[in-house]
Amino acid sequence: MKFFSGYHLKRAPNRIETKVFAIPIDHETTLNDLKIAQTACIINFYNENEAIKKVEAMGLRCGENVVILQKLGRGIVVKTNNSRIVLTTDVAENVRVK
Amino acid sequence: MTKSIKIALAGNPNVGKTTLLNHAAKTHLKIGNWSGVTVEKKEGFLTYKGYDLHFVDLPGIYTLEPISEDEWIACRFLKEEKPDIIVNIIETSSAERDLLLTTELLEFGKPMVIALNMSDEARKHGIEVDHEHATKLLDIPVIKTNGKKGEGVSDLLDAIIDSVKSQRLPKVPQYNREVEQALLSITKTSQQEKLDKHTLLERLADNTMGNGEKSDLESYFNKNISGIIKNERYAFAHGFYSDTFRKKKFTAKDLTDKIDKIVLHPVLGIFIFLSVMFLLFKISFDFSTPFMNWTEGFINDFLSPLSQSLLSNVGAGNWLSQFFSQAIIGGVGFVITFLPLVAMIFFLLSLLEMSGYMPRIAFIMDRFMHKLGLHGKGMIPLLLGFGCNVPAVMATRTLDNKRDKLLVMTMIPFMSCPARLVVFSFFAFLFFDHPAFIIFGLYLLGIVVGLLTAFVLRKTAYKGQLSHFVMELPPYRTPRMRTVLQITWAQVKSFLHRAGTVIFAASIVVWLLLNIPTNRQNPSESAAAYIGKMITPVLKPIGIKDWRISTSLIPAFLAREIVLSSMGTIYSADEPPQHKDFHFIPALEHQVIGLGEATKSSVLSLFTPDVETFQTDEGSHSLRTVIRSSFTTASALSFMIFLLLYNSCMATVAVMAREGGKKFALLFLAYSFFIAWITAFIVYHIGGLF
Repeated sequence: MKFFSGYHLKRAPNRIETKVFAIPIDHETTLNDLKIAQTACIINFYNENEAIKKVEAMGLRCGENVVILQKLGRGIVVKTNNSRIVLTTDVAENVRVK
Repeated sequence: MTKSIKIALAGNPNVGKTTLLNHAAKTHLKIGNWSGVTVEKKEGFLTYKGYDLHFVDLPGIYTLEPISEDEWIACRFLKEEKPDIIVNIIETSSAERDLLLTTELLEFGKPMVIALNMSDEARKHGIEVDHEHATKLLDIPVIKTNGKKGEGVSDLLDAIIDSVKSQRLPKVPQYNREVEQALLSITKTSQQEKLDKHTLLERLADNTMGNGEKSDLESYFNKNISGIIKNERYAFAHGFYSDTFRKKKFTAKDLTDKIDKIVLHPVLGIFIFLSVMFLLFKISFDFSTPFMNWTEGFINDFLSPLSQSLLSNVGAGNWLSQFFSQAIIGGVGFVITFLPLVAMIFFLLSLLEMSGYMPRIAFIMDRFMHKLGLHGKGMIPLLLGFGCNVPAVMATRTLDNKRDKLLVMTMIPFMSCPARLVVFSFFAFLFFDHPAFIIFGLYLLGIVVGLLTAFVLRKTAYKGQLSHFVMELPPYRTPRMRTVLQITWAQVKSFLHRAGTVIFAASIVVWLLLNIPTNRQNPSESAAAYIGKMITPVLKPIGIKDWRISTSLIPAFLAREIVLSSMGTIYSADEPPQHKDFHFIPALEHQVIGLGEATKSSVLSLFTPDVETFQTDEGSHSLRTVIRSSFTTASALSFMIFLLLYNSCMATVAVMAREGGKKFALLFLAYSFFIAWITAFIVYHIGGLF
């Protein structure tokens, strides 16, 4: 079976289904620097700490597109596929996006 | 002979594991629409087609690399307790995320069944699954289920039995050649029994097996070993997803996103939160008050004379008659009066929990909470504390950090539960012109004391950087009325059970103490009075000077409502027995008419903007009048504050000891007594000036 040999992380360029007036960005930055409604693709993570492992397991993975739904204090709500995840700025600054 | 099958229900948080179990095993376990409802192993049993099925519902996990305590419980069970079969429940619309855990579970090489749950929601998102192809690829049954309606549950049960009977094993994921070779190599060096792939990967990663395979892989891929394994698992999960799931072009805007635009708004969000809390309070009181009044009338004007008349007809002795009127009607009946309020609070809290709004409150409040050095996620256990402190303390297991967990635990007992509300509503009604404001004020005081406690601890004993905050926001879901009513009924049963056991037992003990010695002239010479008088000097500075109140406070440590049942029993002993003429049919008619009027008043109260509670005529019931004579307004307020702040009940202390250690629980008990006494003292003396 072909998937047993590994697909690795090749993704379609845009997999966000829900249109939240997403505004794409054209440069590399961190999730922390995105504004509300901006969309970007996760490139990699600067850190491999517990929090990053957790957000990866929750669906924020390399190659996934994310859109910022809300920012409030230190909290950020991002949406990827059908999941909405809250993470704090100290975690978001380790997520590199483009 | 029936064969027993131990089934582990594993999956990501909030995918409907407990809902499926409730359908399969006809259990009534608590469910909710947020991550972390199940924080400990829950069990369900079913005999099906000659098999004894033993379900173990595990806390939700995203991966087998646990961080928080609830995640550790799930992982430990899966790795160490060797279930006969794993049922992996997947939320179909978020399957790609869930498949990481599936991949890890497949590595165990154990019999397994996949339940693709919430298939109805996935269809709405334009997601289709080729489950037959999925079955073929993994060589395990893949069943579509709908936990809400119980669809697919019988197929799931059949698949479980077939898989165990035939010992059908899954195809274990194959990773890239280099990783597979490394695993083969370390297997050869192992002298131990055959290990499953998951354990081998763990040994490879922690370098406890093999001869340098870990460093070889790291240098080959120029990546650390956990990164290599993680990539392989994600690749497998993604590959499987791409082969079996299809997404239609879907452009409609999600309803959850629309609602979140308002609910998560920085300003509107706060306004909505406060409005929701106000409505919770208003509806609970306004809707239940007419029913509480009716229940009180039903007990005092129907059940009590009916039982007295039956007892006199059968020639029962005077002591039995006294026991019935003092311990049962005066004690247990007094507490039962508040059942409508308790039911309404749980009904509304269940609605809130199942809607998906709870985690949003955590997000909105984090900006305030973190300024006090607290974690936004801690809001969920605090809100649960308004339902019952015991599950709220358990819910702190979802917090990733031990320090945050202990901090939130020190706040929970200050959140007023319905047991305390029962006492507050009685006293506020008796002593204040605006009882609703007094009760609301007491709730606020509890919150303020909880916040101050945590703030001080954060600056002293639990210093340190505030940990990160990572949480999932579920989609909004319309609560199923049947499920909400089932949860409410479970809570009502628990309240009635407490009334029939602990409260009843406490009433009997208090009644016996009131009647010892048998030759006493009046209750003030009884053993109960002796005990009460002994502790009165401690309580005198806060305005509690009457032995009858001091005695009532002692058993209240078991459960807060007991303070009322004990008072009911003690004060009834002072009352001369009342013998009324009782005619069954007119009395029953009166009660039925009264119930109809109570229902009408309850429904009408929902359409008024203010809190109308307790606008009824002042109780003429003699027991209330007698209790009223023992308090001043200041001492009643001080008494309520003492009950609010002194650690909620014995069950809470026990669960705090289990979760935070005995020393922690005992220190908190002493602290809560101190803070309760000091606050009550200040309020009593300031209140006395007016």
